Amino acid sequence: MLEIKDLHVCVEEDGTEILKGVNLNVNAGEVHAIMGPNGSGKSTLSKVVAGHEAYEVTKGDILFEGESILELEPDERAHLGIFMAFQYPVEVPGVTNKNLLRQAYNTIARKRDWEELDPLQFEDYAMEKLELVDMNPEFLERSVNAGFSGGEKKRNEIFQMAVLNPKLSFLDETDSGLDIDALKTVAGGINQISNEGNAVVLVTHYQRILDYVQPDKVHVMINGQIAKTGDKDLAVKLEDQGYDWLTNEVASVSVNGEQQ
Amino acid sequence: MAKVKQQKDRTFLQDLLDFQGSLNGKSELLDEIRLKGAEGVKNTHFPRPKDEDWRFISLRDLYSDSFVLASDLEVEAPDLSDHYLPESEGARLVFINGAYSEQHSATDALSEDIVIGNIAQLAAEDNALLKEHLNQYADFEDDVFTSFNSAFLKDGAFIYIPKGKKVEAPVHLLFVQTDADRNYFSTSRSVIVADEGSEVTIVEDHIGLGNNKYFNLPVIELNLEQEAFVKHTKMQRESREAIHIARTGAYVAKHSNYESYTITRGAKLSRNEPRISQRDEEVQFTVDGLVLIDGDQVSDTHSVMDHRFPVADSHQLHKCVINDKAHSVFNGKIFVRRDAQKIDSFQENRNLLLSRKGLVNTKPQLEIFADDVVCTHGATVGQLEPDEVFYLKSRGLDEQQARELLVYAFALETIENITVDSVQKLLVDEVHKFTEKQLDSEIAV
Repeated sequence: MLEIKDLHVCVEEDGTEILKGVNLNVNAGEVHAIMGPNGSGKSTLSKVVAGHEAYEVTKGDILFEGESILELEPDERAHLGIFMAFQYPVEVPGVTNKNLLRQAYNTIARKRDWEELDPLQFEDYAMEKLELVDMNPEFLERSVNAGFSGGEKKRNEIFQMAVLNPKLSFLDETDSGLDIDALKTVAGGINQISNEGNAVVLVTHYQRILDYVQPDKVHVMINGQIAKTGDKDLAVKLEDQGYDWLTNEVASVSVNGEQQ
Repeated sequence: MAKVKQQKDRTFLQDLLDFQGSLNGKSELLDEIRLKGAEGVKNTHFPRPKDEDWRFISLRDLYSDSFVLASDLEVEAPDLSDHYLPESEGARLVFINGAYSEQHSATDALSEDIVIGNIAQLAAEDNALLKEHLNQYADFEDDVFTSFNSAFLKDGAFIYIPKGKKVEAPVHLLFVQTDADRNYFSTSRSVIVADEGSEVTIVEDHIGLGNNKYFNLPVIELNLEQEAFVKHTKMQRESREAIHIARTGAYVAKHSNYESYTITRGAKLSRNEPRISQRDEEVQFTVDGLVLIDGDQVSDTHSVMDHRFPVADSHQLHKCVINDKAHSVFNGKIFVRRDAQKIDSFQENRNLLLSRKGLVNTKPQLEIFADDVVCTHGATVGQLEPDEVFYLKSRGLDEQQARELLVYAFALETIENITVDSVQKLLVDEVHKFTEKQLDSEIAV
């Protein structure tokens, strides 16, 4: 579904290189976790896949279902079925969740050949999805993220994901700042949404969400590269030993001029 | 033909005085106010660039041209039906270039105990209520424009809502300025009196039909008696070459509630001066504003919330969206007089700059002489956040939808409380049109 090939990315404003040759394959039906220390480039990778304009791809490619998406605007990527849950969801006072999501849903529906929903149909549809993240129906009427607690914002992201039914979801530190109950709720939502036809990439600092969402693959990102790929056990090892042993490995790999 | 022209004060005043006399002789009441107005103009001066209250804007456009009186123009009756509000059928007064238009007005939906009509007409009939209330509530001290308006006093709306009367239909005051081949001066004075326990909604609507230059100087006075509730929406959509200088004076009595929303979209230069004065204890008032300007528009709001007695709950949210080289000025004064305790006053001016060349001057100003008060005030100037746009685009909205939604969201807060559906819809459309237009021009994020 997603193929990232030798992706090099720098910050457009000052040219700082953040991603230095990332390779990643994600297939339909898979859950991946990308872990790594602060500043390793995990969040940047999510934003680049979603199309954030602050970053410039200087080399490599991102293929979604076999086609390069580098030239596509963020909304065009969303229309293809790419979704990103934000680490810091934006507050939009004055626009209700319901209105934003119905507009978003119907825009995507037109592109993905789903039936568009009128306000009543949409409300029914959204109510079902609210249950996945254990949210009160009044969330639909509230302004997008305005005055939401940190946990509510994260749940709202998963709710949006459920409503927009993406093929590929990048969840950028959706687990951070959640207490254990909220974490379970969010994880439960992710589990119910993921199926054979879609893929989820969890970008996270911590191993603990992986107790509730079973990843097929765990990647460690260090200094703008995927330093190691493994299974769930890798996450456990990272939790115990930290990232230092990998930092050294990356350094030696770079000397040999190889990627991954 | 009278010319209104500023040349070191002298010509402006001379022309005014020359003309002022010709209006007299039909009503003693009006003659007296005009005379006082003309004297008031003589005793002060038109704003100079160094005057503190005028230092951010230039009146060059007003002074550099001459203006004929609107009454010197020949005007064909325009078709205004597109501008009527469905909720106000039979509750509408129309003024064309400041002159009352009987053929466009209709007040048959309002019950007979409500006094509503044109000031000149009511003055000719020696109406006692008019005499009691006219020129009582626009006490803008030493203000040359209020005096100027008085000196030309003739037409305008007078509305008196009797005790306990709750008027269902919003009253539409439609002030239309026509296209013309000459610059003209247009003025009107309106008075709204809500007696004890009455309720009424007023939609003050200024529309320019062409793209021509004119100077419009409307003054509106309001008096809210005990427990009266008045909702006042002012929409200003003058011609893009027009100068709109307006005064709104409101007095609020015990347990009354005055809610006003002023929307500024038109005019090359506009200046609003709302002044709300407490006449007794325990009042509520709201003086919210929304300004949407682009091109070379200048919009200036100088407001006064005058807390003279204990216990008031006052609110002012003034929001501006500025694009291109437009310039927004806000000066909001909050007075809390001595012994006016238990005042809870909120004031905020928020500005959204869509371009690099837009300009904002903002000055919230508190003068508090009581000690048991809660006054919050603040001002912000910001831009559309790229991260907000990205967030919405990542949800599938395109650039235009995302920007529209964000500007709409910014603006909505000031218009969502407007209860006349067609007005709210019209304003939402205006916001959308404004935003769409911005996408055609260069946008700086």
